[in-house]
Amino acid sequence: MLNPNALDLTMNTAGYNSRVPRMTGLLARCLRLPCPLLLILSLVCFAADWSTPVHQLAQKIVADTGPGAVSLTFSNRSSLTRMDVDAVQAALITQLAAAGVRLVNPEQASVVVQISLSENLQKYVWVAQVQQGSDTKVEIVSVARLDTPAPIHEPVQLTIRKILAWSQDERILDVAVIDSSPPRVIVLDPNKVAIYALQQGQWQLQQSLPIHHSRPWPRDLRGRLMLRPDHLFDAYLPGMACTSTAAPISMACRDSDDPWPLATQPTAMNAFFSPSRNFFTGALSPGVAKDKTVVPFSSAAPIPREKYVLWLFAGTDGHLHEVDGMNNQMLARTNWGSDIAAIKTSCGSGWQILATSSGDGTAPDTIRAYEFPDRDPVAASLPTEMNGSVTSLWTESTGNGVMAVSQNQQTGKYEAYRLAIACGQ
Amino acid sequence: MSFRRKLLLVFSLTVFVSVATVAWVVSVFTRRTFERASDERTATLVAQFHREFTRRGEDVVRRVEAIAASEPALRIALALNRGAPDYATFLSEAKALADAQQLDFLQLIDDQGTIISSAQSPARYGYKDTTVHLNRAENKPAFLKREDLGSGTVLGLFAVRSVNIADRPLFVVGGRRLDKGFAASLDLPAGMRAFLYQNLEPGFSPRLLIDPSGSLQQPERFASLIARVKQHGESRELISWSNDQADAESLDAFPLTGEDGQLLGVLLVGNSQRPYIELRARIRSAVLLIGGSGILMAVVLSTWIAARVTRPVEQLASAAQQVADGDWNTQVPVSSNDELGQLAESFNQMTRQMLQQREHLVQTERVAAWRELARRLAHELKNPLFPLQITVENLLRAREHSPEIFEEIFRESTSTLLAEIQNLKNIIARFSDFSRMPQPTFQPVSLNDVVHGVMRLFQAQLAAGNQLGITPQLELQPDLPQIAADPDLLHRALSNLVLNAMDAMPSGGVLSVRTLALDGRVQLEVSDTGSGLSAEECGRLFTPYYTSKTHGTGLGLAIVQSVVSDHNGRVSVNSSPGRGTTFRIELPVNSDKLARSEKRQESAQTGA
Amino acid sequence: MRHIVWQLLVVSSLFLSGHAGAATRPQYGGTIHVMTRRAPASLDPLDPTQPDSIARRNLTNLLFDSLVLIDDFGRVKPALALSWEAEPGNQRWRFWLRSGVNFDDGTPLTPALVAASLRSANPSWNVSAVDNSVSVALPNSDPALPAKLALARNAIVKRTPANISGTGPFHISAWQPGKTLTVVANENYWAGRPFLDSVQIDFGNTYRDQSVALELNKADVVEIAPEQAKRPSMAGQHLVISEPFELMAILFRRDPQSPEDGKLRRALALSIDRTSIKNVLLQGTGEPSGAVLPNWMTGYAFMFPADGNIDKAREQRIEVAQAPVWTIGFDPGDSLGQLIAERVALNGRDAGIPIQTSSAGSADLSIVRVQPASFNPQTALSSVCGALALPAPDFSNESEAVLYQAENAILQTQRIIPLFHLPLNYGVSTKVKGFELRRDGSWQLSNTWVASEIQ
Repeated sequence: MLNPNALDLTMNTAGYNSRVPRMTGLLARCLRLPCPLLLILSLVCFAADWSTPVHQLAQKIVADTGPGAVSLTFSNRSSLTRMDVDAVQAALITQLAAAGVRLVNPEQASVVVQISLSENLQKYVWVAQVQQGSDTKVEIVSVARLDTPAPIHEPVQLTIRKILAWSQDERILDVAVIDSSPPRVIVLDPNKVAIYALQQGQWQLQQSLPIHHSRPWPRDLRGRLMLRPDHLFDAYLPGMACTSTAAPISMACRDSDDPWPLATQPTAMNAFFSPSRNFFTGALSPGVAKDKTVVPFSSAAPIPREKYVLWLFAGTDGHLHEVDGMNNQMLARTNWGSDIAAIKTSCGSGWQILATSSGDGTAPDTIRAYEFPDRDPVAASLPTEMNGSVTSLWTESTGNGVMAVSQNQQTGKYEAYRLAIACGQ
Repeated sequence: MSFRRKLLLVFSLTVFVSVATVAWVVSVFTRRTFERASDERTATLVAQFHREFTRRGEDVVRRVEAIAASEPALRIALALNRGAPDYATFLSEAKALADAQQLDFLQLIDDQGTIISSAQSPARYGYKDTTVHLNRAENKPAFLKREDLGSGTVLGLFAVRSVNIADRPLFVVGGRRLDKGFAASLDLPAGMRAFLYQNLEPGFSPRLLIDPSGSLQQPERFASLIARVKQHGESRELISWSNDQADAESLDAFPLTGEDGQLLGVLLVGNSQRPYIELRARIRSAVLLIGGSGILMAVVLSTWIAARVTRPVEQLASAAQQVADGDWNTQVPVSSNDELGQLAESFNQMTRQMLQQREHLVQTERVAAWRELARRLAHELKNPLFPLQITVENLLRAREHSPEIFEEIFRESTSTLLAEIQNLKNIIARFSDFSRMPQPTFQPVSLNDVVHGVMRLFQAQLAAGNQLGITPQLELQPDLPQIAADPDLLHRALSNLVLNAMDAMPSGGVLSVRTLALDGRVQLEVSDTGSGLSAEECGRLFTPYYTSKTHGTGLGLAIVQSVVSDHNGRVSVNSSPGRGTTFRIELPVNSDKLARSEKRQESAQTGA
Repeated sequence: MRHIVWQLLVVSSLFLSGHAGAATRPQYGGTIHVMTRRAPASLDPLDPTQPDSIARRNLTNLLFDSLVLIDDFGRVKPALALSWEAEPGNQRWRFWLRSGVNFDDGTPLTPALVAASLRSANPSWNVSAVDNSVSVALPNSDPALPAKLALARNAIVKRTPANISGTGPFHISAWQPGKTLTVVANENYWAGRPFLDSVQIDFGNTYRDQSVALELNKADVVEIAPEQAKRPSMAGQHLVISEPFELMAILFRRDPQSPEDGKLRRALALSIDRTSIKNVLLQGTGEPSGAVLPNWMTGYAFMFPADGNIDKAREQRIEVAQAPVWTIGFDPGDSLGQLIAERVALNGRDAGIPIQTSSAGSADLSIVRVQPASFNPQTALSSVCGALALPAPDFSNESEAVLYQAENAILQTQRIIPLFHLPLNYGVSTKVKGFELRRDGSWQLSNTWVASEIQ
């Protein structure tokens, strides 16, 4: 569900049109090429195929204008990138020329065609306004929205590196990346576990393992994937646990109140998850020293100290609880959200905490890294903006990365990012 | 009309006139007093209106000044001086400020007249307000102004103040609507109403009339008054709201002008005429009641008084009539010692004296008449007796001295003696006739016929070219009514007059006979153009045996007078020496006698 | 499921000062108090006495489900129906139902009950239960049937003489028609129990009362008038603003009576300064529009000009010898409508068209506000035309070209001059999280939750 309040109201004349993720990086380099090469590059650098709608539009225009001198103007009212717009324009000009339409300056033309590239919720809407004297005709072509590649951003030196691991329409509960050959991605969603393998440059679905549940899932469904050395993975869902087999890959799910793993490193810690809610009940296994129970919490993260592990629990009361089994503490003001995850790095103390900021999900989340020199968090990085609200934040099985899943406010897709820490600014 | 009735009428009239005069005076006095009171009340109400107007204006000024001094106004003024103000920011400011100060209108306007924020028309931001001269109206007392609300134009009391910081002042134009509440704030005495008319359109529109009482019907009746105020200023009109006069209302209209002197409103003050009409009706009722009662009493009283007063008078009048009728032996009872009693006593004395005098007169006249008769007789007889004596003496002398001619003288003397004896006999016959003048036998007589009969008698003598040289001239009224008269006696009388007239014109002349109908009478005139008579002669004319002629017995005019008298008529003479003489006879129609005569004739005819 | 290209991503770590920050995980429990202006007398989506509106849809979404729902991208998604298919010709459809769904009275959702509900809403349909599905036979072909099934009026309601029941995320706990409604979470809701325990809704409150209640923490969610959304008084308030969805337009009471009448209407349309109205009267909210449907819905709304041109307006006006005095009406309860009517009258007078405002019912033209029944553009256009008594549009297919022709035909009747598309604005208490709006501005309280402590 979109949160419209986060819409950029300073956008161009497209008004309240939904934003499609922009293309930068490689494509941005394409955009900087001289114009005459745009036509070629639009076919080379860009995977989108506009030929059919362009052809349709050209045909409609020619049907109104006939061959002859025409003045053509373009305007973009959509979220199409500059490169796409140029590609469309070039393709259209080619098509019109092939039909005998000669483009001239406005003062030389008897026909003026105004092309507007617009869009609605589901489609791009291309409108051609053909004006001949006092007569005006309007031609409209609808173009289905294409999957756009993930945004490419110009490389900038960061503290937090965010790598898009997966994107899909259905809610992503967790993603696990297997750096194997070929690389594989395991995606946990409310209804299944899907395994993809990268083959021939394309991600192919290897296996879809359905999850059958008799009871409705609670809202704000959470789930966790844990890669296992022996049987590929375990999946945890509220009131359910699933275990896979390696070969052939299969999965068996059962109703279970087994605790979920909070961390495997530096020490293993599990916690019981409420089967009908979105939080951990507070019961720990094995516990933090003598503390077997803590406050109900949304997420937890360990900070290994020299002689003990300080556990941080993001309580459902909105506070951060620091539990070491001896001097438990509650931090009232952290401005942290509900999701925290520990990440092992070679920077600073070796362990940082990635935390979402507090908010209500109406604005895009940010994730920031913190150090805990003592008991108070110290920001160790600048906030990293996500494209939407973070729905899950889990430390990867190796402990060296964090998988953050957020829902893109613009597209509604769920995007799983692999977060890594780079030392230095 | 009898004296009693006259008296009664006079009394009644006097009472009526008195009451009417008093009523009229009271009515006029009441009306003037009422009008004066009405004018005073109107003036008081108008003064109250102006006071209230001023008070409200001062209140508006105070509130506008408070707004001008407020922080939001300062903030807007600052924004104005920093550049073009953001209308969006200040859209509701005017409304909030107006509500806080309980103003109906408020506009914040820049120095160019552009509206920054408007309470009454928030959508007017950016438009210029051309209805007020900001610089001129600034810091002045409140004034009337039109305000266009989009859904219509209304009238309000406005004031202008400014917030002067830096170069561009911010004008605060605030006001209150002139509405029912304003008109209702006036303290109206009973019978008074006040309306406000908003002159917002050409012509008259009833919906522009503010009626705080809600009692106004037929508002269109104000149209002419409003039109008059528009043209001439302050006006007044009396409006009858129904057929009932008491529903009339005197309306005074006072113009209310705006800043530029243009007529923006009219204050209408109505004074009900009902109290006055009712009072007047009460006065009239009282007048009618009192007057009627008074008149009735007056009639009764005057009837009684008149009866008491007039009875003696009537008795006197009746007695006088009897006396006039000839019954001189009339006495009236003396019933009081006042003037009327004295009058009655005097009357009685008078009639007694008259009786005595008449008897004395009759006696005297009888004696005189006997003396006159004896004189006349002596005169008449002397004439023939003297020749008789001479003749007899002649006879004696002749017998003695001239026996020879005695026979002749005897024969001559006997002739003369016979003639003179005949003459004596004629004289005695005339006297006998005169003494035996018959009573008239009344019958319907046409006087014109009598005239014609007489003129036929003298026709030969009066024919044209007659030796007498007398020209007859008849002027007879054709439709002369018949009269009850004795035709023979009239004939005789008229004959005597004609004879006298002819005798009065020995050298010729004009003999005129005229008849004329008068009111209840007929008139007969016989005129001659002779030498006329003196006044002394005229006075003795109708004395028997008086004659100015050398011949005649002198009884002619006496006969005329007797006949006329028997007919209850009147005979008169008008003459002067050298101018001829006119005898005029007036005879009554005697309708009653005429009717009796006609009945007798009818009886006689039917009996026959 | 989409494939992505494996890309190495690095993100610019731009410091966003003052940005609201990221999410705190939703918490279960709590009650929110909501205040609204409208006061519905009935909760039945099919109540004919109450026109469709966002307010009604809000309540319907709480208590009932439809067979399908429209996501924020206009895509039809499964709800009570898991899948569907149409026979060739799109006149017969079949919808397979989700199992394990119960009404709030505990009775299971059955195809028979679904069919009965759909028949009540659509008497001309032939709806029958077939196994675990519902068969719908339409009188005419309709490829857009699934989108129509998402309309509030087609919510699945179990009707008995005594009451109505739904399968929605909340159940009725207390209901005082026109005054208050208290709903409690459906513990067994098929899409997951809502986070909130209950929602209490107070009806019939003015904007002012609602703002005061929010300030005093007596309400958690209130409606904010569009023109109040960006006022300084709202600074610091948590505002949730929907897409510009509600159409504000000038509606003429009759068709043009003569060519001169048409010219005057064109002149009026040209005289209106929408930019000024948006910036001032709407306080910057809303989108000026010359189209019936917003551009985000159709993609071509920009084709219908919304810019004023007073010179052209005057040129049009001069061609008419005598212009009658028009009256422009507005809803007496709509202060914004009144302001805009006054401004339109002023603009019209600038062009030489005499217009007076009037709150009486029989004005020549009036300011109307219409909330389309759906953000499916065909359904939306049909619903707007139906609400304004305009000729029903004719769609031969669902293409934008056909939609454009239909909308253009409506505008050519000169019965309507679109002015703005207005968003719906809600003031939300800081303790309320996850308050989301659908594209049409209706609530989605299933995902709303209350923070236990303000951080």
